[in-house]
Amino acid sequence: MKVTIRKWQTVSSWHWDVSEECCGICRMQFDACCVDCKMPGDDCPPVWGACKHAFHMHCILKWLNSNQQQCPMCRSNWEFVTTD
Amino acid sequence: MFYCVQKMNIFSSNISNNGNNFQVNSSSGAAGGIGTIKKTPNSNNIQPQVKKLVIKNLKDTSKASENYQVESWSHLSNAIDSIYKKQPIKQTLEELYRMVDNLCSTEKYATTLTYVVSKHTKSIWDIGLHYFKTFLLSSTNLDKKLRIGILINIEKERNGETIDKDLLHHLIQMLLSLQIYESFEKELLSETSMFYYKESNHLINEYETPEYLKHVNNRIAEENTRSLRYIDPSTKRAIIQVVEKQMLEQHLDRLLQKGFNQMVEMDKIEDLELLYSLFTRVNGLSKLKSAWGQYIKTAGASMLADTEKDSSMIEDLIIFKDRMDHILNISFSKNDQLNYSFKESFEHFINTRQNKPAELIAKFIDSKLRSGSKGISDDELEMVLNKALALFRFIQGKDVFEAFYKTDLSKRLLMDKSMSIDVEKSVVLKLRNECGTVFTAKLEGMFNDIELSNEIMASFKECMAYTEHIKNIEMNVFVLASSNWPQYTPLNANLPTQFLEYQEMYRKFYSSKYPNRKLIWQNSLGQCVLKCFFQNGKKDTISSLLQTVVLLLFNNLNQDEEITLGKIQELSGIELEELKRHMMPLINSNTRILSRRSKNKSKILEIDDLFSFNKDFTHKLTRLKVNALQAKETVEENKKTNEAIIHDRQYQIDAAIVRIMKARKTLTHNLLMSELFQQLRFTPKPVDLKKRIESLIEREYLGRDQNNPMSYHYLA
Repeated sequence: MKVTIRKWQTVSSWHWDVSEECCGICRMQFDACCVDCKMPGDDCPPVWGACKHAFHMHCILKWLNSNQQQCPMCRSNWEFVTTD
Repeated sequence: MFYCVQKMNIFSSNISNNGNNFQVNSSSGAAGGIGTIKKTPNSNNIQPQVKKLVIKNLKDTSKASENYQVESWSHLSNAIDSIYKKQPIKQTLEELYRMVDNLCSTEKYATTLTYVVSKHTKSIWDIGLHYFKTFLLSSTNLDKKLRIGILINIEKERNGETIDKDLLHHLIQMLLSLQIYESFEKELLSETSMFYYKESNHLINEYETPEYLKHVNNRIAEENTRSLRYIDPSTKRAIIQVVEKQMLEQHLDRLLQKGFNQMVEMDKIEDLELLYSLFTRVNGLSKLKSAWGQYIKTAGASMLADTEKDSSMIEDLIIFKDRMDHILNISFSKNDQLNYSFKESFEHFINTRQNKPAELIAKFIDSKLRSGSKGISDDELEMVLNKALALFRFIQGKDVFEAFYKTDLSKRLLMDKSMSIDVEKSVVLKLRNECGTVFTAKLEGMFNDIELSNEIMASFKECMAYTEHIKNIEMNVFVLASSNWPQYTPLNANLPTQFLEYQEMYRKFYSSKYPNRKLIWQNSLGQCVLKCFFQNGKKDTISSLLQTVVLLLFNNLNQDEEITLGKIQELSGIELEELKRHMMPLINSNTRILSRRSKNKSKILEIDDLFSFNKDFTHKLTRLKVNALQAKETVEENKKTNEAIIHDRQYQIDAAIVRIMKARKTLTHNLLMSELFQQLRFTPKPVDLKKRIESLIEREYLGRDQNNPMSYHYLA
């Protein structure tokens, strides 16, 4: 044995685990924030519907509050899904 | 008592003058002596002698005196007027005399009387002066000689000869008393003006500026004492103004041109102080201001222009600014106007070179905050940082600074290179005070990520998976929110299976805490502490993750077995150029852990170079750092940062154009450009702006006017 490892310091970056890159409503990346927020991160998370479509939480809430109850992508009834 | 008696006398004379028959035979001097003793004639002869005391009734005398003073006064004053007008007088002179005599006994009237008289006549003194003056003026030569004489004497004194100052003092006093000083003053001033006109024109060529200024200062002081000593103090102001005008005002430009720059260059604090005080006397401040600004601009620009001195530029600028501050504070007594021009000029020259100064300031601060920059106390560090940030204040392209500062900060944090987190945070705080919270939000986010990662790591180390499976190796993971940090491109490498297992364990642990998140491993930022076994002992090496991957390959080889670079690349799965970069320190003469055998002697690694583990390696230290290149900035990284800046600026330009056009609806090209230059925090190139306008037209945010192609409309 010539070399052994004593300590390993590594770096990783986290991203939202979303299949699409952009939010379908505001067209901003999920790693960035929705148009109303300034800082990306936990304050502006994506949410998923039963139809597996994801949007910025703020974006879809705006949509639902305007009395639209369907997913803007597929028109199926919107239901929040919490992933564990 | 005496007063009473006197009064009595007045009354008695008055009464008798009025032709009254009432008689007082003798004023006995007794108090209130109103009663009198009358001796009968022959009383001495009659025996027995009988003395008869006759008491007369007390007469009321006050009636006559009530208005006496007022009346007699008006009589007198009328009489005096009449006498001077050569008119007849009502009263006899005798009567007038008595009135005066009576009135003069009270002091009040004595002075007024003098006044009334002097209204009509001159004192002997004045008459004397008058005749002396007429005499002096009548013979023109004498008057002239006198004046010329005085002037010649003054000039002699100005030329350094000694003169009879007392004599001159008396003569000038004489002129003042004769009231012919005014015309003399005019001559004196014009003569002074001539004298200094000649002198200044002569000396300005002969003397250097500081010498000249000292001379002027002396001259002003001389004139000051001279006017106090023997010329009238009322002339002081005028005469000093003349000196200032002739010696300074005429030559302001010349003085600045001739010596100002040298004086600043040589830090002639006192000379500059004198210059400042003299210039403020004659409203020369605006000229001084422009010379001062100009000096800073040219001196600063020449410091910036020398690209070879980039490495020391910031230190040079800090020294330069310190010097200028010193001059401003001491010599120019913190004058507001000069301070403003100082700031303006500094800002001007520091932005003449696009982006570079901002980059260098960021690097300078990085060099100070890195661990290992030694021999500097906390206070000194604080001071240096403040000075660097003072320079930063002048920078327009603050985004450039931010980008470079961020890359440097990320390295310091992730590679444990930072001297102290507290100092780091204090710098960020200063930046926030300077540029606002938006500017530092990402930097602060970086600190949060590090703290959060440490917390997560601590809880990870307590969980089952870690305690049971991760042995012998101390693992530490930083998890970054990608938007806060510079963009890293993930590097591929075939990590040892052990590492992959650990990564998987951590990933599971992390997603149990944070669902919906996925982790992307940044291999380029990983580093390891290795224990290497050489024949002469063990060494700890701090190496990059990629170096570790390479070194671990040699565990599977026999002692002295060689392996080609191509094979290493194949086994490690690292991209070739990146691999070469990481291999270089391992074969470096100082830390030669691997031996290289190559056909050519060039430093560049070739694909068929052979490497083996250098078992004979020795070094005086037991702990070696071979990952320095990770912390260093490479040319590519620099390029990447610059590209990122340009990229970010595009959005800023787009946003600004849309913002302006939305407000104005229609705007010509030139007006739009000038508004953009005002709004943008950096100085963009017009070409870039045009490109962005084109792009917005393509995306139908804007449209060209059909008739005037130089004018744009906002399309909603």
